[in-house]
Amino acid sequence: MSETFSPAPVVADLRRIEMPSLAGLYARAAADAAGRAVRGSGEVGALPDQALAARSAGATTATTEAYRRLVGGEAFDGVHRWSLPSALVHVLGFPVQVALMADRRFPLPLMGLVHLSNAVEHRRPIGVEQPLQIRARAENLREHRRGVQVDIVTEVLREQADPAAPAEQDVLWTGTSTYLARGLRLPDEPAAGSSEESGRRDGDAVALPPRTASWRFGADAGRSWAAVSGDCNPIHLSALTAKALGMPSAIAHGMHAAAKMLEGREPQEAGHRWRITFEAPIRLPAQVAVAAEDLGAGRTRITGWDARRRRRHFHGELQLPEHD
Amino acid sequence: MHTVDAPRDAVIIGGNRIPFARAHKAYAGASTQDMLTSALNGLVARFALQGEQLGAVAGGAVLKHPKNFNLVRESLLGTPLDPRTPAHDVQMACATGMEAIGSLADKIRLGRIDSAVGGGVDSISDAPLVVSDALRGILMEANRAKTAGQRLKALARIRPGHLAPQAPGVDEPRTGMSMGEHMAVTAHQWGITRTEQDELALASHQNLAAAWDRGFFDDLVTPFRRVAKDDNLRPDSTLEKLATLSPVFGRDLGEEATMTAANSTALTDGAATVLLGSEEFAESRDLPQLATFVDHELAATDFVDGAEGLLMAPTRAAARMLTRHGLTFDDFEYVEIHEAFASTVLAQMKAWEDAEYCREHLGLDGALGRIDRSRLNVDGSSLAAGHPFAATGGRIVASLAKRLHGKPGKLGFISVCAAGGQGITAILEGR
Repeated sequence: MSETFSPAPVVADLRRIEMPSLAGLYARAAADAAGRAVRGSGEVGALPDQALAARSAGATTATTEAYRRLVGGEAFDGVHRWSLPSALVHVLGFPVQVALMADRRFPLPLMGLVHLSNAVEHRRPIGVEQPLQIRARAENLREHRRGVQVDIVTEVLREQADPAAPAEQDVLWTGTSTYLARGLRLPDEPAAGSSEESGRRDGDAVALPPRTASWRFGADAGRSWAAVSGDCNPIHLSALTAKALGMPSAIAHGMHAAAKMLEGREPQEAGHRWRITFEAPIRLPAQVAVAAEDLGAGRTRITGWDARRRRRHFHGELQLPEHD
Repeated sequence: MHTVDAPRDAVIIGGNRIPFARAHKAYAGASTQDMLTSALNGLVARFALQGEQLGAVAGGAVLKHPKNFNLVRESLLGTPLDPRTPAHDVQMACATGMEAIGSLADKIRLGRIDSAVGGGVDSISDAPLVVSDALRGILMEANRAKTAGQRLKALARIRPGHLAPQAPGVDEPRTGMSMGEHMAVTAHQWGITRTEQDELALASHQNLAAAWDRGFFDDLVTPFRRVAKDDNLRPDSTLEKLATLSPVFGRDLGEEATMTAANSTALTDGAATVLLGSEEFAESRDLPQLATFVDHELAATDFVDGAEGLLMAPTRAAARMLTRHGLTFDDFEYVEIHEAFASTVLAQMKAWEDAEYCREHLGLDGALGRIDRSRLNVDGSSLAAGHPFAATGGRIVASLAKRLHGKPGKLGFISVCAAGGQGITAILEGR
């Protein structure tokens, strides 16, 4: 959590698009899966040097209320709570991320990508129904113990920003989502070493802090988050659709866990940073044991795990601004 | 004792409760209003209050149906008390009874009223069930609809899953953890052992059984529905038997889980009431004056992220209250710590003995002090008697006041923890 903000890079090749529909992107990705270049050799080509940008109308009052009904927390009364939660900002930018990954030139297959982690710098508050621009680009394609990983950097910009070269004050929110494509290899790369993110099996046998909360994810948790976020990836929707994609059962959206982790902890004026690392998937329905630990200096660590199997589902950290 | 200035004393005249009964058994079918009315009737009969207009009657139930918004007033109207006696409902989870009684004592001390009844009732067997939020949303929308078409459109959204009724939540809304799971974490942090919890549970049953055997409850309890005695009482249990039980809370602690059904309070139904008055009120009616209700203190903990234990608020209340009066635990003849769980009592006592905890959390210079175990819950407590949430305060106040009667100047201490990280402590003084 020590990284500091670096100015948003100027992007040479910026393609402006209309805000895409996730359902359409997923449908196309499923259809495209057959025609991918990576099939055959299993080797992955280079990342396209292109960013996508789209205008967003922002989060509607209805979406914000639906978010609160699902995640909990205090009412968005427009006075004491008016700033969008980080996870909901992620939701606004997510279709552009997916459009980037669904593009034919993107070297990894969208369907089956595993969400490994998210790191967010929520620099300035974003209000309900505030029009925005979203910019997304892929970078840092690299090996992972189980395949190839990539960072999708999503920036949420002020409505009037120049998306090709935004000014520092126009960048409201920056998120880096790291995804894994399993079973693939980069050409001319040795097998990944024993770095932290490619080491032991996800979430296994870790020392667990004293529990401070229990979260229930019902069998319909994936459908509920999909209704709020529009992320209708079939691995979250039902056991049947998840099995069709090789998962033993439906799993909770990682961002749903992140939303619960952050609920009630984010400052209205923003300026905070957080990250979450996903480990063993939360198979629905689930009861997740959770611990929040105050690390001092405005830092809170939150860990979620399966109490019965003692396997960690995620761990994350929030850094509040006034302590930086 | 007049360390806190008050115009006059609030005196505990006596109490009446119905026997506490295990949930879904003897009192199944009886409503909270039935039980509270019966407990009030017994109190009226015991102290000849027929036709009496009291200053106030206050109490409540933790599990309360919205239709019972005036539970105490409606119960009062079913008794021979003068119907011009005002009543109000109080809600502070398991500390409801203590808060009702303590606030009434304050009103008497200030001279605003001369007499009052405080108490509470709860029934697991009569718990209100509600519809799901989703169904409620649809029904409300249908209710707001202006045309039959709009109404039908709203109602068409009802799905079978919406129809399952929801029992009142037992989990803390902000953590999703049950009270037992919270207590398991606190107990583990304080290193409370299984054996000491079982010993405390056994002592509770033995003390309550002895109190019943020597007739201690003869003028504190009136039978209800042919139940004459608390039916959760297990006088013949042994440490060996208790040791065979499997843990029910904190099971993810594995071998280190310590909380069983025997050292955790059983769900029970019951009601309890306490009659309070000024000295003049008691003297003019030739009523007994068991003890003075000296003071009470409310406190809360920062439990949501686990900085403090959910059921540790009484540690804070006690620190403030004892400091205010310049007292230590050595000054108390009897100590009543509500046994939500055996580990709750043990953790609170350990905390008061812990200099670091008392400095960091209670703002004291050092440990608050040790409680002599021979003075603790001498007539049994909630593990044996049961704990119909809002009724527990009335049970404890009446029993402790009776214990202190005939011991002028001797002090009794009460601690009751409650959901939401809250708690109340109180001081009684014998007369």
